[in-house]
Amino acid sequence: MINSRSTVAALVFLPLLFFTAFFLVPLTVVATASFTNGDGVPTLANYARILLDTYHWSVIATTFRLGIVTTLICILIGYPLAWYLVRIVKFRSWRRLCVILLILPLFTSNIVRSFGWMVLLGRNGLVNETLQMAGLTERPLRLLGTETGILIGLVYILLPFVVLTIGNALAKIDHSLEQASADLGASPAATFWRVTFPLTAPGIAAGAIIVFALAVSAYVTPALLSGGRVTVLAVLVFQQYSSVFDFHYGGALAVTLLVFTMAIIGISSLVSRLGAR
Amino acid sequence: MKSTALILSASAIALSAMAPAHAQGDSITVAWYGGNWGDAFQACIGTPFTEATGIKVVPDIGTSTTTLAKLQQQAGAPTLDVAFLDGGISELAEEAGVLAPIDLKAIPNAANLADAAVYEGDNGVYAVSGGFYSLGLTYNTQEISKPPASWEDLWNDDYAFAVTIPSPSNSSGIPFIFFLNQMLGGTSDDFSPAFEKLKSLDAALYFDSSGAASNAFQSGEIIIGAHFNVGAWGLADAGLPIGFVVPKEGVWATDARLHLVKGGPNPEAAAKFLDTALSAEAASCLAANLYLGPAVKNVEVPEEVAGKLPWGESGSVDDLLLFDWNEVNAKRAELTDMWNRELAR
Repeated sequence: MINSRSTVAALVFLPLLFFTAFFLVPLTVVATASFTNGDGVPTLANYARILLDTYHWSVIATTFRLGIVTTLICILIGYPLAWYLVRIVKFRSWRRLCVILLILPLFTSNIVRSFGWMVLLGRNGLVNETLQMAGLTERPLRLLGTETGILIGLVYILLPFVVLTIGNALAKIDHSLEQASADLGASPAATFWRVTFPLTAPGIAAGAIIVFALAVSAYVTPALLSGGRVTVLAVLVFQQYSSVFDFHYGGALAVTLLVFTMAIIGISSLVSRLGAR
Repeated sequence: MKSTALILSASAIALSAMAPAHAQGDSITVAWYGGNWGDAFQACIGTPFTEATGIKVVPDIGTSTTTLAKLQQQAGAPTLDVAFLDGGISELAEEAGVLAPIDLKAIPNAANLADAAVYEGDNGVYAVSGGFYSLGLTYNTQEISKPPASWEDLWNDDYAFAVTIPSPSNSSGIPFIFFLNQMLGGTSDDFSPAFEKLKSLDAALYFDSSGAASNAFQSGEIIIGAHFNVGAWGLADAGLPIGFVVPKEGVWATDARLHLVKGGPNPEAAAKFLDTALSAEAASCLAANLYLGPAVKNVEVPEEVAGKLPWGESGSVDDLLLFDWNEVNAKRAELTDMWNRELAR
């Protein structure tokens, strides 16, 4: 008994050390800076500066609007994709290829993929050229430097996470449950909404949390695709740390982003739990 | 706060203990930038220095900002001997007290330095210039047949939504606002002329990194804008239809500077390294590789290189508008905030 306990302790120790050194310590440094001023005196002024200013609220709104819409679109596209991969594809090798195609982009850097979208979404890019050739638009659409452009980039980058989590949930469903539902006279649609969909809800929730957290904290994609014309919180944080060197105000912005993100995730899981009752 | 500092210094010590130990005297550690800049520094300064002295140069690659952070963390026990820092960051490093004074008398080649290339603080000289670069008017020669002559051309309707200028996150962003403001008759207390004018600019991109600007010029997304002479001529050399001009209102410029690190392990070798960096050969090599404008006089550059230097075809270092970075840094937070509220939304 003691032996196994010490084994567990030893196994837990390394991850714990890693977590402390690379997550807790930096987070503490940032949080400490956010509650002090340049002389090290404790203050709430950095937070007052953010929360008592409508400009910051508009940046917070933009950030979370992008995060929520990205999450919804990812689920809307990701669910059918996952369904196709798990339920429709019959050949194992084809399914394997699809999964590889899905996760392959994750092996390249975010920066490279965002630069790729800059080329595609540009004035003379593939998207605008196709639209114009098809006669759908006369002049190039403004996609770069708008929230739409950022949204396209974020959805592209984050989609694999939802497909994988939902696909996993779908694959685990016991087919006999759906067969029972059909035997008892439920239509395929009713079986889906009353049996299959609720059983995949944990997968949807897991995917949604991953996508939402990554979308609201994304820096590279918004920075490149916004062309500096749309501001999200992560961009403000970067500015303060990289060029203004105000770690107090920058730290407060980072903590604000963290708290808002956790609050939204908490509220949504509470709502879904109440809804499930 | 104290415990934070303790943790930081403890990790700095741990890191420095892990750094490869080089016996004193047979190598020096020099912090410089990555990419083609680092390659050029190695070829023009590092290799000749090692050939002449037998002392190895260990590069420590990072941007100016990360190097400054390293210098601050290592203040107790520095591993760096020499640091390359851009103008602006250089002043912050001096303020942070991580630089050693440079004795110009101990560096024979320093006698050739231009007046604008020596930076003095309260404790003497803290930086010498390794070469100048400017932010000029860069344009697509296929789209624009007649070279633009004025910064006003950025507001030309023909180029609407195909224009770029630096954002405050780029090192040239805040100085560019200073430059525009001065051009439009504003003062350092009133930046409204610059912001009023910028609000009417139909820009497609406010670039954070000069790589993003180069990329946008390359894809044709941008046909005119403010870009560094180093990046613009780099694109032209790669065969792209890109031109660079110094408009009639002039250009803002800054430089890559060399600094001695306070308490660095090999001060004598570091001073020798500075001497090599300030040699006419190194300056002409950097001019040929990066189009950096030499900070030392009596440098011969081939004609095709001379036209691509930061001051343009017929200028000299005296034509560059070099602002006082301390003044720029003092306004940085305020102007960044103004930019965010007025332009980046």
